[in-house]
Parts: sequence; C-alpha cells; structure tokens
Amino acid sequence: MKFNLLVLSICLSQMQLAFSLSEKETQNLVSLVDSKQRNQGDYSSLVFIDQKEKNGISKAFEARVYRRDADQKWMILFTKPKAEAGKGYLRVDKNLFLYEPALGKWDRQTERASIGGTNSRRDDLDESRLAAEYDAKWINDETLGKFKVHHLKLSVKAGIDVASPVVELWIDVDSKNILKRQEFALSAKLMRTSYYPSWEKMFSKSKNADVFVPKEIRVFDEIEKGNSTTVVLREVKLDPLEENIFTKAWLEKQSR
Amino acid sequence: MFSALEIAARNLVQARRRTLLLGLAISLVAMLFLVLRSVSNSVGDRMVESATTLSAGHINVGGFFKPRKKGAAPILSDRQGIIDFVKAKVPEAVSVIDRGRSWGKIISPTASINAGISGIIFDEEKRFFNSLRLAPENEYVKDAKTNSFGNFDDLKQENTILLFAGQAKKLEVRVGDTVTLVTEATGGESNTVDLRVAAIASDIGFMSNFSVFVQRKTVTELNSNGENVTGVVMVYLDSHRDSQKVMERLYKDFKDAKYEMMEHDPKPFFAKFEKVMAEDWLGQKLDLTVWSDEISFVMWVTTALDFVSFFVVGILGLIIAGGIMNAMWMNVRERTKEIGTLRAMGAQKGFIVRVFMFESILLGLFASSIGAFIAAAGLMILNSLKLPITSDGIRLFLMANTISINVNFSQIIQTLIVFSFITGLASLYPALKAAKLRPVEALMQTK
Repeated sequence: MKFNLLVLSICLSQMQLAFSLSEKETQNLVSLVDSKQRNQGDYSSLVFIDQKEKNGISKAFEARVYRRDADQKWMILFTKPKAEAGKGYLRVDKNLFLYEPALGKWDRQTERASIGGTNSRRDDLDESRLAAEYDAKWINDETLGKFKVHHLKLSVKAGIDVASPVVELWIDVDSKNILKRQEFALSAKLMRTSYYPSWEKMFSKSKNADVFVPKEIRVFDEIEKGNSTTVVLREVKLDPLEENIFTKAWLEKQSR
Repeated sequence: MFSALEIAARNLVQARRRTLLLGLAISLVAMLFLVLRSVSNSVGDRMVESATTLSAGHINVGGFFKPRKKGAAPILSDRQGIIDFVKAKVPEAVSVIDRGRSWGKIISPTASINAGISGIIFDEEKRFFNSLRLAPENEYVKDAKTNSFGNFDDLKQENTILLFAGQAKKLEVRVGDTVTLVTEATGGESNTVDLRVAAIASDIGFMSNFSVFVQRKTVTELNSNGENVTGVVMVYLDSHRDSQKVMERLYKDFKDAKYEMMEHDPKPFFAKFEKVMAEDWLGQKLDLTVWSDEISFVMWVTTALDFVSFFVVGILGLIIAGGIMNAMWMNVRERTKEIGTLRAMGAQKGFIVRVFMFESILLGLFASSIGAFIAAAGLMILNSLKLPITSDGIRLFLMANTISINVNFSQIIQTLIVFSFITGLASLYPALKAAKLRPVEALMQTK
C-alpha cells in the first residue's frame, strides 16, 4: 500500500514537472510579453480614464499619451475636463514630473503616484519592461474564465525603482497577452488587481512587425474596496512624433 | 489668639464623637475632591505632553496654500524663510523645528489604520526622542517577553517608520516588518511607499494612536512637494504658559512684515480645511496656533472633568457646611453657660467668634489633611501598579493607556485651604450668634 502511494506521488510530481515552465522558459515568456507590446518607435493614443469610488463620487478625464520607447520618454497631457486641461506628466531620464498649469510649476513624482487621483499609474500606459525590471517565477498553469493561462510571480530586481515590488501575472497561453495582473506591496499585501479584457493588433512600421496594445484596462483598488478605474485607449498611432515633444517647454505651451 | 486656639482644640477633643463623625465626612469629601482634581490635572498635563510631543509645538506656524479656488493644501511654501523669520522674532525660543504633514492609511498584510503622518528631520528632534521609550514587545504582541527591539537611530535610514505600541498591535507587526503607507497628495493624487518598521515606541496617551513618524523626505516625496515646502514650523518655549502671549506677538510681527495671515481660529489645522476650501483667495496664508488649539477637539475632557468635580464637591461641600453649621448651633446651645462665664470674665465678642471659628477650621484642617493623605497614598499605590486601561472610552477620557494619576503638593495644599475655608465659613453665623449672647442671660440659662 505504502509502495503504491509512493509511486503515485512520484508520478504526480513528474506530471507537475511536465506542465511547469522552467526558469528560462518563464523569463523567455516575460520577454515575449514585453516584445509583443514593444513598438521600438513612437506611440500616441487618446485615453479616457473613468474613476468610480465606493462613496459614489466619480471622476472622468480625457488625455493624450505620448511615448518614445527608444529613450524611455513618456508624457500624458490632460485635455478634459476643462479644470484639468493642460495638466501633464512627463518622464525624462527616469524622473517623473507633474506639471500644474494653475501654479505654473513642476513637481517631481514617485513611480507609485497615481494619475490624476485615479487608480491608474504611469506604468499602466507605458512600454512594458517586465523582463528588465523583474525576475519571474512560474507558479501554475490555470484557467481564467475560458482562457488557459500561465500564472507567474515577478519580483523586482535589486536597485530598480518600480511601482510594485511584487507582481503576479496571468498570461494567455495562446496569445501570450496579459489577462490579469495583481500588484503587491513589500509586506505581501495585495494593492491592485487589473484586468486586460481586450488587446488590439497593429502593424508597426518602426518595428516592421505586429504590436499588441491593450484597448482597455480595468483597475480595482484592493485597499479601498469598491474603488475602480477603467482606462480606455483609442486612436492609437505608431507614427513618429515631433522631435521636441518630450520637453517641459512643449507641455507648458499646451496649457497657454 | 493662642488661648482661643487652645480652647477650640480642647472643645474638639471633648466632643469626640461629634468631631469624629464630622471629621470622617470632611475627610471623605476632601479625598474625593483631591482625587478628582488630580485626575483632571493629570489629564491636562498629559494633553500638554502628548500634544507638544506628537503633533504641536508650543506655538505653530502653519498655513494653507490654495493653488485654485476649490483646493487647499496645509503647507508652507517658503520653509526656510519662515524658519528664519521665527528665529529672529522669537529669540526666547528653546527650539524651532519643522515637520511635514500628511494624512494616510498604514497597511499591513492583516490590517490597516488611518493616522496623521509627521515627516521629521531626525537630528532636529532630540526633544521628541527624549520623551519616547522603546516599547517592550509584550505591549504589542500578546504573551511576548518584555524585551524591546529596534532603535530610534534607525529612523535615520530611508523608508523607515516609527509606530506606537497600540498601532503595532492593531497592525500585527513587529520591528523589521514592512508596512505600506498610502497618502493623498495635494492635487488629489494618491501615492504609496513601502516602509520598514524601525522602532515601536510606548504609547503617549490616546493621541499616539493617531500619529506616525517618517523621514521628512518621505512626506515630501509622497506629497510631491519641493524641498522648500513644509507642513508646520513648531516653536518650543521654556514654558507652555507663555504660548498665547508669544503667539500674539508673532502674529503681529508676521502681519507687519506683510505676510498674508488667517484670522486666529483655535482649532487644529485639519478642522479648517472645509472653511479654507470655500474661501475665495489664492496663494499662501499663514495660520498661527498654540498647542491647545491643535488639540481643542479633546479639551472637552478636562472641561467635563472640572465641571463634574466642582459639581460633586460643591454638593457635598454644601452638605458638610450644613452639618457643621448645625453642629456649631448645638455647640453654642450646649455651651451657653460657658460663653456667659467667658464674657463675664471679660472676653470680648471677637474672642468668642474666634473660639468657635477656630474650632471649625481646626476640624476642617485636620480632617481634610487625613483625607488628602489617604487619597495621595492611594493614588501613589495605584500608579505603582501600572494597571492597563482596557476600555477605549476610558483611555480617551483619561488620555492614558495605564492608570497613572499624578498628585502634586500644590493640589494637597489647595484641598486643605478649600476645606478649612468651607468649615470656617459654615461656623461664622453660629459663632456670631454666640458672641451676641448677653453674659447675664447666658449665665442664667439652665441646660
């Protein structure tokens, strides 16, 4: 009887090994997730951010996002509502700044600062750099709704400043797109859960290949339960942008 | 004078039973009076200590910055300028420091608490750290030993936090654990940071449940403020009693120097948000407060205690005064012949009044001394036991986590004076009546 149990447990562990991803395969998978989204050139899109809070208060913004992935430059310029128009965030040389047109001043922001008081952050709308920033570990192969997914756990590499030191991803086995993302604090407390219900395939001239961009991101606040943010991306363009667009002067000019 | 005292003392000894009964009643009320006064005073002292350690200087130069009409941030946009101005105008200040201010949620894997966040510069906070002690682990972990962990010096390291024992208990964290701080910046943007618990201090009254301390840099980054922005400039004087006077002088100095000032409003800064948000001005205005303004939301505790103690002691005092008056009436009637003899021997009316009043005052003095001694000894024994207060309501009321009621010498003296005065006053009318007796009539009266 004991012998049979031993054989069974060895068989089960071998089956588990057969389904698991090795460390290298896991890291390759994360690199693939990055490269599928990477454009290598410039990027712009129109973004609608809709924040709903548990107390019934809601906020809605319209903004334009600009990226130059080769230089890791990023900018978001708010266009609506009128009170927020001209406000913007600019990331240059790994520093994130917020421009407040009412005061005409720039404030440095941390990577964890939310965008406009919503649950969304800069990294939701920026190029995916998971492989460069995190070490990945395979957790399990699971089913998420009707999708078969790889469940991975990512831990930040030493010396890198990211919004979440620990991230768990659920990656579609077929498309290799992220379907769900959970972010944890260092204390292992779950902070945010995001869902990526739809992805759009686009051809990038600069990459000379297809690029996948999320069309919608739904972010759920795990601390203030009931608060959520929906980010909808439209008019995604992968054409080259003006040369001097990622400057404080350009952003300030938009609010005049 | 001496002979009147001697006769009064002999009368007290002679009427032993009456003296004992009245003395017991006076002792009990004096005991109650001293206990209530001590509780009220201890709560008041603890308020000053908690307030000036945790959240306020003796004088606070705070203020609001309004970037837009419907927005307000509790910040000072010219930190260094204001510190220099205060140092120049308040030369008697013992120290002038500044702290970043914020409000946020501290999250551990199992729980979360809301607290005011103070951003401190470690080297400027000697006064603060001198009044703290590391909490023994059993103050925040059930069944733990009495060892203390952590080090206040570790707060010099980046991304560290100082918690108090009550907070650590709720969050279920120990020294070395990580918590996450979530704040809302001035523009409404939320921000988070992971912080290591560098030290856990013993609670300083109930108010320490609402305060955590991090590096000033942490608050500056979370609030997306510049280097020359701070929350409040705090001024410490030799004595907190001078606060109001110096604040009024400093207010005038700021006004004369053309700083935009808010009208003095004796409330903590967080209670002024709504009012400031609704006001129609832009830019920076300064707001000066004293320590008691910043804790005015809990000052009702001492007011209530004072009211209760004066009400209770007042009623009991009236009963005692009635008892003494009655006893003295009896005394006068019993000793009418004696009064007549004294008057016949040449004693003046004033002498008779003094005899009766001294008798009553001596009774009040001795009885209240015994009552005060028992109360003081009882409170000292109670303090030495360090009994924990488990009820949140009582903790809020007494501003402490363990029973600790300080008795000071001046309160004891006050008690003796009050009760000697009450008993003396109560005997005045019967004494005057006794003095008015005509010697012939008094001598002729049979018992």
